[in-house]
Amino acid sequence: MNDAFSKCHPLVNFLFFVGAIVCGAILQHPAYVAVGTVCGAVYYVLLRRSKAVKPMALMLLLALVMTAVNPVFNTRGEHVLFHLLGRPYTQEALVYGAALSGVLLTMLLWLGCYNAVLTGDKFTALFGSILPAISLLLVMVLRMVPNLMRKTRQIVGARRCVGKGTMEDAPTGEKLRGGVTVLSAMTSWALEGSIVTADSMRSRGYGATRRSSFMIYRMTGTDALVLTVMVLLLAVVITAVCLGQAAVAFLPHLTAAPVSWGVCAYGAYLLLPAVLHGKEALQWRISRSGI
Amino acid sequence: MKKSTAVTLLVFFLLIPAALYLGLQLPGRSYYLTATLIILEILVPFFLAFEGRRPQARELVVVAVLCAIAIASRVALPLPHFKPTIAVIMLAGIAFGTETGFMVGAITALVSNFFVGQGAFTPWQMMAYGAAGLAAGFFAQKGWLPRKPWALALFGFFAVMLWVGPLLDVCSLFLTPIQINRQTVTAIFTSGLVVNVVQASGAAATMLLLGRPLLEKLERIQIKYGMLSGGAH
Amino acid sequence: MAHFQIRNLSFTYPTAKGKESLRNVELTIERGEYVVLCGKSGSGKTTLLRHLKPMLTPYGQRWGEVLFNGVPLQSLSRRDQAAKIGYVMQDPDDQIVTDKVWHELAFGLESLGCEQKTMRARVAEMACYFGIQDWFHRDVANLSGGQKQLLNLASIMAMQPEVLILDEPTSQLDPIAASDFLNTVRKINIELGTTVIITEHRLEDIFPYADRAIVMDGGAVVADDTPRNIGKLLHQQQSEMFAAMPASVRAFYGAGGEGECPLTVREGRNWLSAAFPTAPQHSEMIAPALPEVKAPALSLRELWFRYEKDAPDVLRGVSADVPQGSIYAIVGGNGAGKSTTLKAVCGICRPYRGKVKVFGKNVEKYKSGELFGGCLAMLPQDPKSLFVKKTVREELQEMSRDGEKIAAVARLCEIEPLLDSHPYDLSGGEQQRSALAKVLLTEPKLLLLDEPTKGIDSFFKEKLADILCKLKAQGVTVVMVSHDVEFCARYADAVSMFFDGQILTTDTPRRFFGGNSFYTTAAARMSRHVFSMAVTAEDVVELYRKNRGEAQ
Repeated sequence: MNDAFSKCHPLVNFLFFVGAIVCGAILQHPAYVAVGTVCGAVYYVLLRRSKAVKPMALMLLLALVMTAVNPVFNTRGEHVLFHLLGRPYTQEALVYGAALSGVLLTMLLWLGCYNAVLTGDKFTALFGSILPAISLLLVMVLRMVPNLMRKTRQIVGARRCVGKGTMEDAPTGEKLRGGVTVLSAMTSWALEGSIVTADSMRSRGYGATRRSSFMIYRMTGTDALVLTVMVLLLAVVITAVCLGQAAVAFLPHLTAAPVSWGVCAYGAYLLLPAVLHGKEALQWRISRSGI
Repeated sequence: MKKSTAVTLLVFFLLIPAALYLGLQLPGRSYYLTATLIILEILVPFFLAFEGRRPQARELVVVAVLCAIAIASRVALPLPHFKPTIAVIMLAGIAFGTETGFMVGAITALVSNFFVGQGAFTPWQMMAYGAAGLAAGFFAQKGWLPRKPWALALFGFFAVMLWVGPLLDVCSLFLTPIQINRQTVTAIFTSGLVVNVVQASGAAATMLLLGRPLLEKLERIQIKYGMLSGGAH
Repeated sequence: MAHFQIRNLSFTYPTAKGKESLRNVELTIERGEYVVLCGKSGSGKTTLLRHLKPMLTPYGQRWGEVLFNGVPLQSLSRRDQAAKIGYVMQDPDDQIVTDKVWHELAFGLESLGCEQKTMRARVAEMACYFGIQDWFHRDVANLSGGQKQLLNLASIMAMQPEVLILDEPTSQLDPIAASDFLNTVRKINIELGTTVIITEHRLEDIFPYADRAIVMDGGAVVADDTPRNIGKLLHQQQSEMFAAMPASVRAFYGAGGEGECPLTVREGRNWLSAAFPTAPQHSEMIAPALPEVKAPALSLRELWFRYEKDAPDVLRGVSADVPQGSIYAIVGGNGAGKSTTLKAVCGICRPYRGKVKVFGKNVEKYKSGELFGGCLAMLPQDPKSLFVKKTVREELQEMSRDGEKIAAVARLCEIEPLLDSHPYDLSGGEQQRSALAKVLLTEPKLLLLDEPTKGIDSFFKEKLADILCKLKAQGVTVVMVSHDVEFCARYADAVSMFFDGQILTTDTPRRFFGGNSFYTTAAARMSRHVFSMAVTAEDVVELYRKNRGEAQ
């Protein structure tokens, strides 16, 4: 994946997503929700290209269903659209459902982007200097899991070849027993191996002195600039929210604060990764055509 | 220890009330955010305590390998809904005590989501699993949990039914974009009940079959490590 | 001042009931020396090596002392001993701690609390020296065994140790990766002057370059001399260790050679050229052609397979016929698809085209349970993947309830004294035989072996060969996939070359290895200019003596 924002320092990535997801979870004002969803969708598509279509369709479907379901459980509201099983189905509840679903949609989209950008190694690098032991622990688990999965498959294969495998059509009890035997064998293998790992750590000086942490990611001038812009925009959004620009009440009737500059700042904040992405793509094209 | 006690006090008397106050001030529906914030504040002292102990290589490796086993265990079983993960976590707690049990649970939840993608439920899962490991360790330390297959299985079943499942249900309740009232709460908890029963039976079955052998293996490793540590000094 | 000085060191493990694992070891190792430590497994090599690294020294009763640069080793600070004494272990996988190559390289430096700047410089240096740049950002899970072991070495060298201790570092690697690794170790010794102390099964690759060889037996040092003299000494003592010597040494002394013994293929060639200036009278070993295969035990027809839909084909039309009651070996490079072929026979991989017939019947047509119960069985590459119980006895009881059958198999595999041990407390060779016993309890008529000689020393190899020959005598057909050309040359009845997803040629070992000039045994490479079809040290000795008119 060639994404400019993904190449930024993990701290920049992390803070951005915390901002985006927390704002997305709090802000229910329809304008903010719309901006959050659209910006999230734009970056999601930029990151995942054709692979974005299917999950996005599913998320949208979920949101639509939840929107439609909300008025069934919530009968408050002034404008009754129709009656369902003798209960009123109101316009306000529908709008409220739409806003809540939008909030969920925003969070899902930004979490999807988070997972694509902030990979496991960035996460551990981020906490490497603050929580060295925990960060090392995470790295070790990340190292061991694929290893154990491979060993587990080996055990399953080896047992099959001596007539101890479980068939696909075996009853559940037999499958469970077979699985637990495999699991038990894998546990032994992993635990015995871990003694070697501990030896290897100690022989390379683990615990001899206070650990330092090798930083593979370095904070560059661009990172600092992006971070500054991010913080400034977020400050504007918070100010706007504190001034009541995002105030909204859905029931019994819709009252929303008028759309103002706060939404623009919010949009600008959320579009930062997409802008960086676009800028880099453009520069690449220009520099290529220059040759 | 003093430092982590101070942090615990700080969390309970300052940070959690602050989070609650903040939650009330936030516009709109902010149950999820407030609760998540409180969960994170509970998790932090545990992590700091672990960090402050400056764990030895052995301790670190044991926690890591237990987490890895808990995560990788789902490959071993050819049954879709039976996940032995929680059982492994609780057995870790029983064998190595409350703190290790908690760490194994919390880290397992965090790292397994590195593989399937982090979700809004990650901190909740960390809390649920961590507490399950801690509780298993606590009951075992107090001698209330005999190391008999049936006792382990029962404990596993109720730990999932009464704690892990409901906590995750609360998370999905807070996340579901729907007005929270008696009807919706009932709907969510009922739909969660089926999953919880399956999960709890999975945990119970794993505890029943795997409990004793796994505890024996862990004991063997403790002896082997003990010998190794003797040689170091 | 000597680098290491071991003074009268004795050691007993707490569980050994008074049996000493090290007995009065007296040893001096000079700065910059390249020392190879040899001995059967269980002779105390690893125990001795671990005494040179305080962090890894086992717990138990100890007499005597170890001096490092003239001061007692125990008085070294943890930091110093971590940085100055590097220790590489056997298993390439379990030694790795972190998930990324770059992080693993930096691990030791992080532990020593190095500055960011120092770490960057050292990590970059190491990545360049070891040629790791191209996989610097990779996940360690995606590395090959050879790359993993190289990474372990690089990660230790980043701490700039004065001494490098290696405990059977290449036992889990294929021959090409192993000699790459050993060449790197040699380069470190020559270019950086690092002292190297190494134990190895594969003496062929080390012996010519080592300054000194130390032989251990029963916890005591029995010989300590230059490799050339060690060869002579072991021959004179008729030591069991002689079987582990390079082919040239075995051929030389086997033929009754006098004077300077050849250590390399080149020296061996020169020795034979000098012995036979003109073409010798008897220059060819008897090598009958492979007989036509009737009623094969296993027949493969045009197997095609790939792991994923868009991945390249691994098997590209594999065809073979394995005669009943023979030992059939498949050799070939890494990743050529040899192991995949065995998996295809067992149905772990399903070929999308082609047929596998076991004893004339299509494998698909066997009922479940019928195939793997008394017909076909496979010994996996790693014996650990078969261990599920607490003792070897329980492992065997998992397969069969018949006590007599278990006893018979245990006798055949020579694991009777090990029955009450935990499988993980056994040595590599013992684990191998225990796993084999487990497989044999299914009473297979067709036995598949995946790299059966991996990680086991020459004594265990001979034991394994004995077992295989006994099985063959009982009418069992053995198919093995192996990198070990020496083993295949000695014991197989037919050898197939696997390349590019197919079996290219099949022949008897003599014709096969006698015809190859690169992919062949050391004995063949050494003798092919005077003899033909002499593929083992024994063959060379036989022809040599025949020409000299000596009876066998």
